[in-house]
Amino acid sequence: MRRTTGGAIAVLAAAVLLTTALAERTPAQAKKLVYWTHWEQNPEFNRWYETKGKEFARKSGYEVEVVTIPYQGYEAKYLAALMGKTGAPDFFNGIAHQWCGQYDFCDRMPPDLEKVWSENLPKYMRAWGQWRGVTYGIPIEHGNFQQMYINADLFRKAGLDPDRPPKTLDDWLAAMKKLTVFDPKGEPTQVGFAIRHKGHPVGITDKFLPFAHAFGARMISPAQDRATGVANSPEMVAALRFFGDLVTKHKVASLAFGNPEDAFGQKRAAVIFRESWYFGWLKKNGPDVSFRVYALPCGTSCPGAGNLFPWSNLVSKASPNKHVAWDFLRFISNAKDDLEQHQLQGILPVWAANLDSSYVKSRPDYASTKEMLAQPVPPNYYHPKSNELATAFGEAVVGVLYGKGQPKALLDEAASRMDRILKE
Amino acid sequence: MGRWARLVLPRTYMDRQRRAGFLFVLPAVAYFTAVYFVPLVESLVGSFYRTLPGGASRFVGLRLYELVFTDSAFWNSVWNTVKLLALSVPATVVLALAVALGLDRLTLRWRSLWAAMYFVPFAVSLVAAALIWQWIYDPVYGVLNHALSLVGLRPQQWLQSLDEVLPSLALVNVWARLGFDTMIFLAALQAIPREYDEAAEIDGATARQRLRHVTLPLLNPHILMVCILELIFNFKIFDQVYATTQGGPAGASQTIIPLLYDTAFKYFRLGEASVMAVFVFAVLLAVTLVQWRIFRKPVEY
Repeated sequence: MRRTTGGAIAVLAAAVLLTTALAERTPAQAKKLVYWTHWEQNPEFNRWYETKGKEFARKSGYEVEVVTIPYQGYEAKYLAALMGKTGAPDFFNGIAHQWCGQYDFCDRMPPDLEKVWSENLPKYMRAWGQWRGVTYGIPIEHGNFQQMYINADLFRKAGLDPDRPPKTLDDWLAAMKKLTVFDPKGEPTQVGFAIRHKGHPVGITDKFLPFAHAFGARMISPAQDRATGVANSPEMVAALRFFGDLVTKHKVASLAFGNPEDAFGQKRAAVIFRESWYFGWLKKNGPDVSFRVYALPCGTSCPGAGNLFPWSNLVSKASPNKHVAWDFLRFISNAKDDLEQHQLQGILPVWAANLDSSYVKSRPDYASTKEMLAQPVPPNYYHPKSNELATAFGEAVVGVLYGKGQPKALLDEAASRMDRILKE
Repeated sequence: MGRWARLVLPRTYMDRQRRAGFLFVLPAVAYFTAVYFVPLVESLVGSFYRTLPGGASRFVGLRLYELVFTDSAFWNSVWNTVKLLALSVPATVVLALAVALGLDRLTLRWRSLWAAMYFVPFAVSLVAAALIWQWIYDPVYGVLNHALSLVGLRPQQWLQSLDEVLPSLALVNVWARLGFDTMIFLAALQAIPREYDEAAEIDGATARQRLRHVTLPLLNPHILMVCILELIFNFKIFDQVYATTQGGPAGASQTIIPLLYDTAFKYFRLGEASVMAVFVFAVLLAVTLVQWRIFRKPVEY
């Protein structure tokens, strides 16, 4: 036994020595900036960083490696890496009020770069990438507010003019009724509206908010300190009743249909509300869908260009390469690169001057984007606990869709939960 | 010389034996400590601290326990977990036992073939299995509704129904776990000497009587073990829920571990998530000990 133990120790020691010797002999690895993104739906956009990184390497010696994290559960991976520091990205696609607000993972943007972007972002996007007045990130997605995509063929088939979209919610509902087709058993085989009802409640909240804003409601108070009296206001109750009735009363939307994007792409739904990236997705996944894009219909108010997820490129405070990461971001902070990168994926560029480029003008959402940007900016909910607040609120929305209760009662319960979250 | 000192500097043959034994178990102990014990202690400690914006922590005593235990969403997830347990565990254990009893009667060749078939779902990744079942359950394109339509029945909403979502997930659990439990029962049945069964048969016992009075009592430790394993598996269910329903619709399938995950990684409330982890650990430990003490009967072949 003594011999066996001694032998094992000798083998172990030899292995350690060999590993050390090999590590010393390995040539230095090419220096890399690591970028994390969860935009799995935008592979061309992501790959562009690597392409541009090769050019950047010629002057800095640093290439860019892009790691795409699946969206579902990306927060866990980000959090583990950023907390653990080892294996963390040098820069990443995230939300400033979460990663820089709730946590302190972000490096402050250098003043010169901050100046460049503040002069070149559309006005409504300037608050993105900021937390408590400090700028951390560069917004990367203009047009991530929802717009109305309609299937022109289905509109014509229903006797509607696809060039004259409904402008008010009443007209919109009337159109949805005409666009819904039932089978002999009374089940819809084609719906007017592709509704989001599955998945995490945060996403469901995101898709409901334009309706809430069209009714003049908001999710939390402007000071972001309370929900009661706001999330359960009469306007919000009316908005949620309208939304629920689409499924339960008017049956112009169906819970039997899966992903709304797929339903629209399969021509089983005539209308969907989605962001600018959906244009690129649709071109790739539903090339035979003849669609138009319009501004969302208005109720007592117009929904405007608002969102729940202001994505920005953020630099990790703990990264040993954070200065190089900022150099890279500085390297690509210009109109030409902004246009090139966004055009590759078919999404709207961020740089304000690019909004009048021939690429943007040729897009089907050019006019609608302009129209929605001209509307008053809706409330934003850029709070560190926005995910949790939106989950509590989304439970009420999905509860109404599934007939779990009445809008008022469910919103009262949600508001109470949201108050508790805000208070804590 | 103390016991530990003699482990380092053995003097006798027995000392060397002990040291060898210690070295052999050391990797397992180190692994267990790093992977289970340290996180457990971390969770316990973390349940008394609130993470503040900026990542700092503040000691808050039992405040987080109070918050979690007065939260209706938490108890809703506990109740859903219990319902899922009630739907999955008895069905899996009874079915696995029935399948094992059937397989035990087959010849070796056929037994191996059928056993492999039952075992295949267990070898499939739970996420992959959940996604496959999501398609099977799809209300529009799913094969299940297509089968129902062939016999003139109305299509069901399955994972998209408040009432059907938990039974649907339970069915996936039964499918995924049946093979593993069957293997345990089959191995146990094979280990029971045939003489007992033959003696009972000679004494005039019917097949049912032999099963009830001979086979099942001898299988008691294995039934208990399978029940405990199933209880733990179902209590900790995560993959299937997260890959298919994400707790929906309207929280109808929100079980405790996905809620814990969301609390920690979506809402960044590590303290509350630690409270939930401690709760899960305490419940599983208590239930396992109770099961062990009440139902375990020593068996000698």
